[in-house]
Amino acid sequence: MTDQPSTQPIAPVQLKVSGKTLALITGGGLIAGTLIVVGAIMPAEYNVDPLGLGKLSGIARLWAPDEKKIDTNTGSGPLARQYDVPLRSDIIEIPLTDFMGGAKGSELEYKVHMKEGATLIYDWQVIGAEKPNDFHYDFHGHTTPGVKGEQMTVATYKQAYGLSQQGALTAPFDGIQGWQFSNSGDKPVVVRVKLTGFYELVPAGEEGNLAGIVANVPAAQARPAVPTSPQ
Amino acid sequence: MRQHHFALAVLAFLLIAPPALAHAIGGTDAAFVAATRGADPFPFLYLGAKHMVTGYDHLLFLVGVIFFLYRLKDVLLYVTLFSLGHSTTLLLGVIFDLGVSSHLVDMVIGLSVSYKAFENLGGFRTIGFELDNRVAVGGFGLVHGLGLATKLQALGLNPDGLIPNLVSFNIGVEIGQLIALSLILVVMTFWRTTKSFGRLAVAANALLFLAGIVLAGEQLAGYFLVGDAR
Repeated sequence: MTDQPSTQPIAPVQLKVSGKTLALITGGGLIAGTLIVVGAIMPAEYNVDPLGLGKLSGIARLWAPDEKKIDTNTGSGPLARQYDVPLRSDIIEIPLTDFMGGAKGSELEYKVHMKEGATLIYDWQVIGAEKPNDFHYDFHGHTTPGVKGEQMTVATYKQAYGLSQQGALTAPFDGIQGWQFSNSGDKPVVVRVKLTGFYELVPAGEEGNLAGIVANVPAAQARPAVPTSPQ
Repeated sequence: MRQHHFALAVLAFLLIAPPALAHAIGGTDAAFVAATRGADPFPFLYLGAKHMVTGYDHLLFLVGVIFFLYRLKDVLLYVTLFSLGHSTTLLLGVIFDLGVSSHLVDMVIGLSVSYKAFENLGGFRTIGFELDNRVAVGGFGLVHGLGLATKLQALGLNPDGLIPNLVSFNIGVEIGQLIALSLILVVMTFWRTTKSFGRLAVAANALLFLAGIVLAGEQLAGYFLVGDAR
């Protein structure tokens, strides 16, 4: 390469490819780049999955809000409270398959929407199980952040094996509260959950009721997504 | 064939580097910056260098810029232009508190990678649009500096000692750039001596183009889906 006077524009060497190749590279780059962004980066980083590729490939599971755990053993608030929402009562019968049904059949999560400070009285028992060691529950609640950057506040109340539980809960934050039920026995069971308090049911398919449980119907009709009903 | 694999490995590394690093002031570093009062030159020097060395959107652009620069004189000229550009906007952006969306700035930085790759491919000559290379590199330098400024602003710098800290950060950026550039130059110079360079130059720039599009797309998605919460 010869030396050029510094006043002249410097022209670095470039490649020379045909117009067709250039179009292929740029067009292909744009298409492939867009696919990577929409199909992989958006589901993983921002919890948005327009093509459904994130769900299909499992990449969408990478997305998780930051968690902030709160202490559930202490709390302060007025002992007497008033609410704007009406009092309601529901009986929810949740059929679970035996452990052979896998994660889709033998376990699920059932939660309800509650405002901060709202109270729920609950009483649930497992029908059809023989050994308490065959049935695990995780009683917990969390907020429902929708996008990256928001933290998820998590409260864990009790994780244990057992066939029944009764008590009361005052929600520590606006969010969803409830149970993860897992049946590891060799027989299908029904969990009968009785709720009374100031809450709202989560519509089928939404976070907290992804299994699509229908409230206030017999177990045989309560879980349309899994048609294997016991008894 | 060995060199062939080597070149591919370098490209693969550049493409696979974890996304979190592109915007590297986070975690404990962010907490440190937010807590600093008064001049604290060396930590800011380090942060500036770290941001540059781990900011692979900047690095990919540099790869594109020096891809076809054979003479050290040219390398120095373009790197000086780039540095002047980003120093200007880094300092002015923070001092005058220019509020620009960091997502949009990072999107343009991503596009600058694609721009450079397209130019290396002779694309602008083909479509009959020729922008003076020096103007382009200087201009993108301005944008890269704006990107650095928005990252610093997001941390809520304390006005006490702002200027010395800012200058330290900027010097750190230059040091980091020098380190990164030396490494890239060594690799590029070595690669040019091998036969695989001729064969893979087109592919490498095609990959650069793609990487730029992905970086830009990610930021565009972030702009619309998250906004500027940070």
